[in-house]
Amino acid sequence: MMAKELFPDAQEIRKGRIRIEVEPEKVGEIVKKLKDNGYDHFVMLSCIDWINDGQFELVYHMWSYEYREHVMISTRIPRDGGSMVTLRDLFPQIETYEREIHEMFGVDFIGNPRLGEFILEGWPHMPPMRKDFDTEKFVKDFYYKIPEVKEE
Amino acid sequence: MRNDDWKKVSRLVSKKSLWMVHFCTGCGAMEMPPVMTSRYDMERFGIAPMATPRQADVLLITGYLSIKTLKRVVQVYEQMRDPKYVIGFGSCTINGGMYWDSYNTIKDLSKYIPVDLYIAGCMPRPEAIMDAFLKLMEMIEKGEAIGWKKYHKYYDQYKRNQRMAFSYRLDEVQDIKEDDAK
Amino acid sequence: MVDLIALGEQILLLAGMVTLGFAIGMFFNGFARKVTARIHNRIGPPIYQGYIDVFKLFAKKTNISHGWIFDLAALFSVAGITLAFLFLPVAGFTLLSTEGDIFLILYLLAIPALGFALGAGASGNPNAAVGIMRALILMLAYELPLVMVVVAMMIHYNTTSLATLVQMQSGMHWAIFVPVFFIGAIIVDMALQGMLMEKPFDIAIAPHEIASGPMVEFGGKHLGALMLYKMMAIVVETTLFVDLFLGGGVVLSVSQYGWIAYVVNFLVWFALITLVFFLALLINAVFPRFRIEQALKFYWKYDALAALLILIWVFAGVSI
Repeated sequence: MMAKELFPDAQEIRKGRIRIEVEPEKVGEIVKKLKDNGYDHFVMLSCIDWINDGQFELVYHMWSYEYREHVMISTRIPRDGGSMVTLRDLFPQIETYEREIHEMFGVDFIGNPRLGEFILEGWPHMPPMRKDFDTEKFVKDFYYKIPEVKEE
Repeated sequence: MRNDDWKKVSRLVSKKSLWMVHFCTGCGAMEMPPVMTSRYDMERFGIAPMATPRQADVLLITGYLSIKTLKRVVQVYEQMRDPKYVIGFGSCTINGGMYWDSYNTIKDLSKYIPVDLYIAGCMPRPEAIMDAFLKLMEMIEKGEAIGWKKYHKYYDQYKRNQRMAFSYRLDEVQDIKEDDAK
Repeated sequence: MVDLIALGEQILLLAGMVTLGFAIGMFFNGFARKVTARIHNRIGPPIYQGYIDVFKLFAKKTNISHGWIFDLAALFSVAGITLAFLFLPVAGFTLLSTEGDIFLILYLLAIPALGFALGAGASGNPNAAVGIMRALILMLAYELPLVMVVVAMMIHYNTTSLATLVQMQSGMHWAIFVPVFFIGAIIVDMALQGMLMEKPFDIAIAPHEIASGPMVEFGGKHLGALMLYKMMAIVVETTLFVDLFLGGGVVLSVSQYGWIAYVVNFLVWFALITLVFFLALLINAVFPRFRIEQALKFYWKYDALAALLILIWVFAGVSI
């Protein structure tokens, strides 16, 4: 069944692009339902920092080769101390996206055992992709302060 | 005196055989194939790509370096045999280029390893690369390409800068600034 | 006293031959790069690039060593190949050549690979271990057809001495003109491609795959010695081919023409090894690389089978 039939209140952005906005608790259920109905390619998991709303938006992208349709499941979690249940049992590749989002935004995925150092090595500051991390200030305070090699 | 003459001859011959290892993490890797193949053919000048740093004379840093790759570059640089030369390739190695405000790419390569020559541009054309190699040969002949000597002489300063960058810690940078002031 | 002078002369001759061998080898390095470049529609390095490269490598300042076995390995290779060169008749000119030296040369040709193995083992680099494993398998692969053809020649000419073999081919009675050994020459040429480690058999030193294999940890003076070995190996292996099939380059008899014969023979020998190497380069420039099991299959399935047929043919021809 196509996504529009499964979820009548889904929003069709244009042909082949479906967007579903749900509560965080229902995401797992919807992804499972879509997986069982021909949407068997999990494309990616992305994260958007809505700093003024105090929320992170997690977007789960799925694709069906059968219907040639792209479904985005969007959910919002609180920015401070927000957490999400891991979906690595449904699609194993979600684990890698969760690790990345944990490292770059600091979102906690409950049940994922491999959340830890991923791409950055020994990063002691706040996750760098959060919008309250001032990269320009960091660059000025850090890279520009490293002294040049003095020659005698 | 005779030793000086020998060094001069040695430099004169060695400049004609530069084996390079190109560290291709940035976009500059794309400019290397035309330089090596039939259009520009750098082998005319005795420049050949080598598979390992042990065999190479020139280290070509093509593009931006994150802290994580800088660790590997330092390792590669220290594995090379003296005399060795470094060419910084593209504006990313000079001041960060388009990554000037990135939290994770270094801005000035010469703070961490001695750079003999920079090629400006984003990206430099193959002609610029050929020109840089000819300039490097000229510098070697005159004895001006002494980056490897600098690395021996100011080893503690280079190591300090590398350690600071690898730590990511702001207070470490400040601490050493104060030490210098004393 | 007379003995001492003769000994001195002999030593000078040996030193002269070794120098000549290395000089020609270094020339071949530049020649190979130039030819390959021209085939690729490039200009290529100057033809004397080999001399510059070796000089530069020996002029490098630091010399990182991985223990004394690593130091000896490069010397081991150079010494082995040099000894093999001295046992070969060059343009009919014999130095250490004696009865039964074909076996000795086949044995000596295996020594440099073992030297490589020593160095690779001492350096402890995994790429070197992979490379040396491939080099030894490749050696195993090409030696079988090579030895079978050489044994067939020994039976046919009824000798175990290369010098005698060369002598029997003088007066343009080259082995390659005998139909059965024409096929043998093709088989040995294929084996030669593997001995020279040119494509499609450059599996051991595949630079893009295992970072130049056994040489991965070599640099500076160590690499210089290894390059000398590789350059000398080209001369030795092509000379072996020329001695076996092309009469060793002997066109004028020394007893008839005196010293002019030496000069002419050396020039002919040089032209012939250049030709053999040039053929190898042509194959090298256009072929991609085999995998090791493909190379083994090629040598043992086609090359060795053809060599076996030749062996049977020659053996039957002699006994009937």
